[in-house]
Amino acid sequence: MRRSLTLRLVAIVVLSQLLLAAGLVWAGIIFTRGQLRRAFDSELRGRMMSVAALVRYPESSGAPLLFDASLLPPARSRRHPAFYQVRSRNGAIVASSFPGDVTLPAPSGEGQRLWHFTYNGVAYRGIVATDLPVLDTEEPPPMPQQRLTVYYAAPPFDMDEEVAAAGFAIGGTSLVLLGLAALFTGMAVRRELDPLRELARQAAGISPHNWDFSPGPRTAATTELIPLIQALNLMLERLHHSYQQQRDFMADAAHHLKTPVAILKSSLQSLLQRPRDAAEYESSAQASLLDVERLEQLLQRMLRLARIEQAADDDRPRRAPEVELEANCQAAIERVGPLARSRQVEVRSSGEFSRVSADGDDLELVWLNLLENAVQHSPPGATIELHGEVHGGEREIAIRDAGSGITAEDLPHVFDRFRRGQDSRVPGFGLGLAIARSIVRAYGGNIAIESAPGAGTTVRVRLPAAGA
Amino acid sequence: MRVLVVEDEPRLAANIARGLRENAGYAVDVAGDGEQGLFLADEGSGYDLIVLDLMLPRLGGLEVLRRHRAQGRRTPVLVLSARDEKESVVELLNAGADDYVAKPFDLGEFLARAKALIRRGKGQSSPVLRAGDLEVNTVERRVRRGGRDITLAPMEYRVLEYLAHRPRAVISKTELLEHLYDYNWEKFSNVIEVYISGLRRKLDDPFPDKLIHTLRGQGYVLRPPENRAGAAK
Repeated sequence: MRRSLTLRLVAIVVLSQLLLAAGLVWAGIIFTRGQLRRAFDSELRGRMMSVAALVRYPESSGAPLLFDASLLPPARSRRHPAFYQVRSRNGAIVASSFPGDVTLPAPSGEGQRLWHFTYNGVAYRGIVATDLPVLDTEEPPPMPQQRLTVYYAAPPFDMDEEVAAAGFAIGGTSLVLLGLAALFTGMAVRRELDPLRELARQAAGISPHNWDFSPGPRTAATTELIPLIQALNLMLERLHHSYQQQRDFMADAAHHLKTPVAILKSSLQSLLQRPRDAAEYESSAQASLLDVERLEQLLQRMLRLARIEQAADDDRPRRAPEVELEANCQAAIERVGPLARSRQVEVRSSGEFSRVSADGDDLELVWLNLLENAVQHSPPGATIELHGEVHGGEREIAIRDAGSGITAEDLPHVFDRFRRGQDSRVPGFGLGLAIARSIVRAYGGNIAIESAPGAGTTVRVRLPAAGA
Repeated sequence: MRVLVVEDEPRLAANIARGLRENAGYAVDVAGDGEQGLFLADEGSGYDLIVLDLMLPRLGGLEVLRRHRAQGRRTPVLVLSARDEKESVVELLNAGADDYVAKPFDLGEFLARAKALIRRGKGQSSPVLRAGDLEVNTVERRVRRGGRDITLAPMEYRVLEYLAHRPRAVISKTELLEHLYDYNWEKFSNVIEVYISGLRRKLDDPFPDKLIHTLRGQGYVLRPPENRAGAAK
């Protein structure tokens, strides 16, 4: 399922804004309602006081208190009248407009009290105050000072409407702002995601012919993208390196396969130039067979090198069994024996050996390649020494010959594959040292060569000790 | 014709040499590395063609070519290359190579190119060399005169082919010896005289016009009769 980051971000913003708007509406309603209630209550109080102010003392002391209803403040609503009741201290009702079925609360000790009731389905809010003085200014009062209890009730009828109106106003404004915010957020997010799109464009442009990956300054300076760019760069570097290696190898291989193929082809074509006798055909067939065997050998070595180089490229450490170095070297010395004897060269081993972690066959191939090289470059009667040493966590094997040596010019390239010495009489493909180096590196070791023309050559291989 | 093959792979060198000797009847010398190749190429009156591999020990083929050309030598050079990228071909031709074949090559094509280079090196463009009513077909190695096939011994043919590449030019006995025999072969100056007399017997005796002339103390020349040659053209 496709998931749009832009849509999700906008949704998050809209949702949080919606929550904010709801909170705002709610707070607005509470606040407005409180304000309105306070205003209503003070109005209620004022009306109650003005009802109280309509009470007069009578002319004579025995008469009841007078109430002038004509001066009553007008009702807030015609449909829902306000009610009042005035009682004297002794409980006698001076005046009342409350309908009979409304039960009035008993007045509290003193001060004012608010209460609620419902009449004809309309919510009323009432106020009752006791111990109010009669505000008749005529002198002297015909009777001792009277105290009044006054009830006044009115429906806070339009209060809810006003609260609702306030709620709608706040809510509506919030919604409009929310829409604008969503629009703006959407645009901003799209714009802010530009670097991501540029990155994608850059990445899409990468191919075996174009390894250039250089995001613009704005993209490269985007904090969130820096790890991604770094990771991509690292990955590209590795890929490029590996690709280049494979390509070089392919090119090298193709190049070096051409000569053996040219030999075979020209052999057969020159053989077929004219009729020949059986002996000639046979010797040519034998020679061609040898050519094919050599070609096969070359192929095997190239594949072996490719496999080892690939393994060496793997960052994962290779799990390998422990190998007894001395026996391993001895096996290689025995294998090089026939070649050494044919060239009247002696191979000796000395020193201290130990164990390393490596594949025995791989390692034996290292010594074999190095010893073959040494034998082929040694004059008859020479001695080659294979010397083992233990250096802390490392094991060193040095193979020293007293051969022709290598010029300073050639020395840096001896480990390159298909690199061959200047002496064309020495057979080989130029793969031995390259294979040896790849194997040593694959097991976490290193290989170094010291040589000077006429002074012989020493190759040192260092490998980590077993378990190190 | 004498060809120098500079090739470090002995098997390939042997095959090329066999092809050149058997198919074209050329004398062939082989050099196993660049230094030896350059030494042989620069020595004496030179070769009619140099076949040069690029990947050579001691001295690379390209360097051999440059140094040889720096001597002012015009010997045609046919390069054997395992590379076939455009740049390296351009570099080769700019360094003075006359042609190249990419490994693995077809021996027939290689020989045809070798013959064409030798021909052009001597100012001939057709593989059939003509002098008067004489026709030397260098592809089939057949000789005709006046519409008649003439059968020659291999060495006689080689002498005639060499002369026919440059009609009217005076060619010394030494030059013939140098260009018809491999480097290591013993050279007896009188063998040339034997072949020349054989050629005269087969080519000139049955015809009134003589083609092969001896310039005393200078050498030999293959010259069609002046007036008829003009008329023939």
